[in-house]
Amino acid sequence: MEKPSYNTDIVRSFVTWSLVWGLVAVLVGVIVSLQMVNPDLNFGPYLTFGRLRPIHTNAGIYGWGVGTIFATFLFMVQRLCKQPLWSDKLAKFQLWFFNATIIASAVTLLLGYTTSKEYHEMEWPIDVMVVILWVAFAINIIMTIIKRKDEQMYISLWYMMAALIGVAILYLVNAAAVPASLFKSYSAYAGTNDANVHWWFGHNAVAMALTAPPLAMFYYFLPKSTGVPIYSHRLSIIAFWSLIFMYLWTGAHHLLWTPVPDWIQTLAMAFSVMLIAPSWGSVINGYLSMNGQWHQMKENYLVKFLILGITFYGLQTLQGPMQSIRSFSAFIHYTDWVPAHIHMGTMGWVSMISFASIYFLAPRIYGREIYSIPLANLHFWLALIGQLIWSISLWVAGVLQAGMWNAMNDDGSLTYTFMETMVEMYPYWWARVIGGAIYFAGILIFVYNLYMTVRKKETIPSTTAEGRA
Amino acid sequence: MLEKKPVLFMILATLAILVGTAVTMVLPFVWVNTAADRIEGVTPYTPLQQEGRDIYIREGCNNCHTQTVRPLVAEVLRYGDYSKSGEFVYDRPFLWGSKRTGPDLARLGGKYPDAWHYKHMKSPRSMVPKTNMPDYPWLNDNPLDPDVIRNKMETLGFPYDDEQIADLTGKTEMDAMVAYLQKLGSDIPWRKAAETTIVGDLTNPFPGDAAAISAGQAIYASNCAACHGDNREGMIGPELTDMGMEDAELYQVLHNGIPDGGMPGFSNLGSTKVWQLVNFLNSGQ
Amino acid sequence: MDWASILYLGVTFGLFAVFALIVVRTYNKKSKDRNESAKYRMLDDD
Repeated sequence: MEKPSYNTDIVRSFVTWSLVWGLVAVLVGVIVSLQMVNPDLNFGPYLTFGRLRPIHTNAGIYGWGVGTIFATFLFMVQRLCKQPLWSDKLAKFQLWFFNATIIASAVTLLLGYTTSKEYHEMEWPIDVMVVILWVAFAINIIMTIIKRKDEQMYISLWYMMAALIGVAILYLVNAAAVPASLFKSYSAYAGTNDANVHWWFGHNAVAMALTAPPLAMFYYFLPKSTGVPIYSHRLSIIAFWSLIFMYLWTGAHHLLWTPVPDWIQTLAMAFSVMLIAPSWGSVINGYLSMNGQWHQMKENYLVKFLILGITFYGLQTLQGPMQSIRSFSAFIHYTDWVPAHIHMGTMGWVSMISFASIYFLAPRIYGREIYSIPLANLHFWLALIGQLIWSISLWVAGVLQAGMWNAMNDDGSLTYTFMETMVEMYPYWWARVIGGAIYFAGILIFVYNLYMTVRKKETIPSTTAEGRA
Repeated sequence: MLEKKPVLFMILATLAILVGTAVTMVLPFVWVNTAADRIEGVTPYTPLQQEGRDIYIREGCNNCHTQTVRPLVAEVLRYGDYSKSGEFVYDRPFLWGSKRTGPDLARLGGKYPDAWHYKHMKSPRSMVPKTNMPDYPWLNDNPLDPDVIRNKMETLGFPYDDEQIADLTGKTEMDAMVAYLQKLGSDIPWRKAAETTIVGDLTNPFPGDAAAISAGQAIYASNCAACHGDNREGMIGPELTDMGMEDAELYQVLHNGIPDGGMPGFSNLGSTKVWQLVNFLNSGQ
Repeated sequence: MDWASILYLGVTFGLFAVFALIVVRTYNKKSKDRNESAKYRMLDDD
């Protein structure tokens, strides 16, 4: 059968730009972590922690995360459907509109144009841009899938389509606002309703942007890297339906003990615990796919990234439900434990899978073998060590501070003032700076490795032929 | 077969997503922010307060400060009465936050005098030496724009009068910020309700005890010096060198504060520490 | 039992039934080849 002529150009461009925004996200992360230990590093009004932290999170989610989703989805959909992309022009538009949106977000956030809603800080004109961007992307992917010959869809396609729908619904509903001017709007919902809608968005953005897409990538790039199929397609189907059904009930676990009605909190708690099952369905499916292939952990650096990634997903989906239990949340919420949890997910799970995906793509989009496998291995260890230092130090910090917040004297008064608990955090915040810096060093090596790959003279004939470069 | 038909598949996936959405996100609108959780005394923000709130949002204060007190013992002791749904009906957007790098601010209103906030916002470390909160001195330099604020009040549908708008002229962003911080959580009379009465005789447990005096000195340095000066010479609060108060009377003041005078109560330090403070202040040192 | 409890129980069992149905349909012996075919096809050289 003749190979269709796949669009590789667009994948290459998205990889480049997602790397740019990934670098920005981690660099700003290191900067804000330094501001946490030394307030003199805040340069008002534009470069304060309060304005830079949303740039760190949004560059991470929308620049690096979504950029990688664009790159890998556009690559996977063509091959899984054995069809060229539905519209190359639309994809080109998507690329430049993506960068325009990210730049507009960064500039407006620095200027203080923000809705304050976590992970959805961009004001309404940027919201409009995000919606246009997502629709362009969704149409292209869906039309490519529809165009394919009538055959069973692979699980990665399922997760991709769920992500397309899910993000669209979440983003639109949570964006509802009444504009007061070009860069100022007021939420369509008030108080407790706004909180509940927002965390329905917030938690499911994690599901639809930072869980379903990495799972799509994992299910695609793991078998492609090992050369053996996943253990069970049927297990992945059961896990899929359970996951997308249950996730949407759990947003209020971010709001335990707040004025949000009790029954919503209880439902969120119950469904969070139940979510362990589909999450671990994917983890176990991944591990069993390695049956007889575990030696590849030594021989194949791609497998190392992917298996560590899915392992952190497994840990993440055990720790998450634990935090969703009322009594545990009462103790740990609002401390540094929670950022440590989030960073295990982003640095350990989503980024590990994204690194592996991009390493896998490199020879196929650049037409050259990767410049250096030892450097890729070094990147792996820096990413792993950096993330572990980051998370473990802040888990300890969280437990310590929670303990101090709750400590009481015999007469029923509090043992510590707030400041007495806060100053105890400084050593752990320094540890976070170090962890973040190590992780950043790993990313610099990653980018250097890819840059040298592109500059290499010799090409692989078989793979260059496939692109239309 | 749905595994072969992407459109059918997407419809089913959408339905799966919408079930949980309908129950936990849409359904609550039936009860939340209705007459059921309405609280008497909760009022919309004035133009000055609303502008302060918008500046709080612009500066991303919610990245480090929460605004919900949970109904947990240690939390109510530390911050004040737990938060109720009806207190937030005018909050667009909500500002509950998710991380307490700094303390919760839901009950901040009325805790300190205005002067404390002006000084603290300008230079937090001048009041709390080891804090990592950034300085916000430039808020003093930015004048308010009454027309912009009027437009915001119209958009929100909050009541205001021309006098309130006229009053904004000449005011700065700092004035707005402080006005907002003083409004936080003060719509319900929780401070009055939480006031504890001291029953029985108050007897100084460590009269003249040197260890208690030096412990009290340390407590003074970290809790009182910011307002009353390092040497009790008086700054935001009055001079404390020669108060001429009986031990028991001083204990009452420290325990309950003087709400009208801007002095916060320090009952959450516990009786031992308050007595140590009394011994230090009345030691004549 | 009041109506709320009955409704709650009904919804719980209903959801379980839907889940059981999906499992039965997916793990149906007759459709095993069909349901597992995709994982082999995705490995085709491309």
